[in-house]
Amino acid sequence: MVNSPIVELQDVNKTFGTGRQAYRALDRCSLTIEKGEFVCLLGPSGCGKSTLLNIVAGFERPTSGTVQFEGMPIVGPSPRRVVCFQDSMQAIFPWKTVRNNINYALSVRRVARGERAEIIERCLASTGLSNHADKYPTELSGGMRQRLQISRALAVNPETLLMDEPFGALDAMTRTQMQNELLRVWEATSKSILFITHDIDESLLLADRICVMNKGPDSRIIESIKLTRSRPRELYDRELSEIGHHIKDLLGQHDGAGRLGDGK
Amino acid sequence: MIRKAPSHASERRVLGILSAAVDGILWLPRPVLTVLSFVLFIILWWLGTAIFPNSGFIPTPGEVGFRAVNMFSRHDLVDGIGASMLRVLVGLVLGTVSGVIIGLLMGRSRLVSALIDPVFQLLRNLSPTAMIPIALVWFGIGESSKYFLIFWGTFFIVAVNTTAGTQATPQTRIRAAQCLGATQTRIFFTVVLPSALPYIIAGVRLGVASAFMTIIPAELLAAQEGLGALLQQASLNGQIDRMFVVLIIIAVLGFSTDRLVQYLAENVLRRYTSYQSEQ
Repeated sequence: MVNSPIVELQDVNKTFGTGRQAYRALDRCSLTIEKGEFVCLLGPSGCGKSTLLNIVAGFERPTSGTVQFEGMPIVGPSPRRVVCFQDSMQAIFPWKTVRNNINYALSVRRVARGERAEIIERCLASTGLSNHADKYPTELSGGMRQRLQISRALAVNPETLLMDEPFGALDAMTRTQMQNELLRVWEATSKSILFITHDIDESLLLADRICVMNKGPDSRIIESIKLTRSRPRELYDRELSEIGHHIKDLLGQHDGAGRLGDGK
Repeated sequence: MIRKAPSHASERRVLGILSAAVDGILWLPRPVLTVLSFVLFIILWWLGTAIFPNSGFIPTPGEVGFRAVNMFSRHDLVDGIGASMLRVLVGLVLGTVSGVIIGLLMGRSRLVSALIDPVFQLLRNLSPTAMIPIALVWFGIGESSKYFLIFWGTFFIVAVNTTAGTQATPQTRIRAAQCLGATQTRIFFTVVLPSALPYIIAGVRLGVASAFMTIIPAELLAAQEGLGALLQQASLNGQIDRMFVVLIIIAVLGFSTDRLVQYLAENVLRRYTSYQSEQ
């Protein structure tokens, strides 16, 4: 994949607070995402993954360093970079139906009323929600709410999806299903994806490239691992399990579990 | 020993019947239990007046019922209810609307909050009752002093709740709207306000309770009509049965209004309130 970079972070520092309470979450963190690339940001809890994503989203400004998107400095949130959050009930509008959640996004984007119905149907179909268009979020399962969030993000046709542990709160079976759905959507739309997870297996199944971060404070990307295995992938694959072991070595924990704890 | 055994058995049988009876009563539908509660209360009340007859302090349920019919058939009670309810309504609307506006501003703007909050925290300690004398000086004994007092009793409660609701809006929901490209103004009306609604409704319900606590003392001190005025007249004339009727009416009105607000919140605004429990 020889493409142009979409997201470029150069020597990003992020310090919260000042003086004695100062906490340096990110220390000279650099990251480049190519167009159409699926990048997983992997690290233990509290390693600054979400801080990094919030900076790319434009919710937070770096203390120093440069952050660019499509060659322009990131100064705030933009519909070119839509975030999918872990807590779906907070991210969507619980008082709007599935259809109206997506319609909200379209009305914000000033899409003409006449064109909306068709876009909504397309977004619902691509995430398998067509039969649930008139339900309220409380009537949906956690997995379906995440589909809605992805669906709403797709409605504004972003260049990049920023996903902050979107499947972290789902049960194992639903998570596997959602991972496959996401890959399908990604392959169909060729969006760039920055996907945060603390689940090594999840990153092995999804990513073109895994960026491993060390535990905070002073987090940065300590290694960037390219994955060439074609999808759908099998975790018991020798190449992938070797990479998995390597990542566990990197993070200094080898308890046999696929998930990273809080890094203790 | 031989004689004791059956007595134990019969005790146990009585206990068994009692606990079965308790279980049976608890299985009754809610409305039946409510009626039962009132029936029990009236029986106790009636027993009290039967044990201490002619004490002059407590009229019998029958006397009160008779007096209520009598008062309803003349116009003073209906007029009194109308006058009091109108005052409550006007004051409540004034207090709620301004409370929501100020509450939203305080919740969203640090500047407004910094400038208003300290004075606010001080003023809200002044109960509506404490404000009656000054209200009479400012607004006279007419309607506006009553409106002002009800306003005073609801404004702070609604404002404080609205501020809390605004600040409780999940940051994630605001950020999600920002990502889609929503402006600050749009986020305010489409994200913050709906997210704060459950808190605002809770504030209005507290405001209703406060309004009913306020209207009676306000009318006791200075009013020609209204439930407080009726209460005062009955007291001056030593008509205890009339006082009972008015007190019961006040309790029923306050209760019904609260239930009405609750009903509206749960039905008309259900979409904005019902997801709370599932989060």
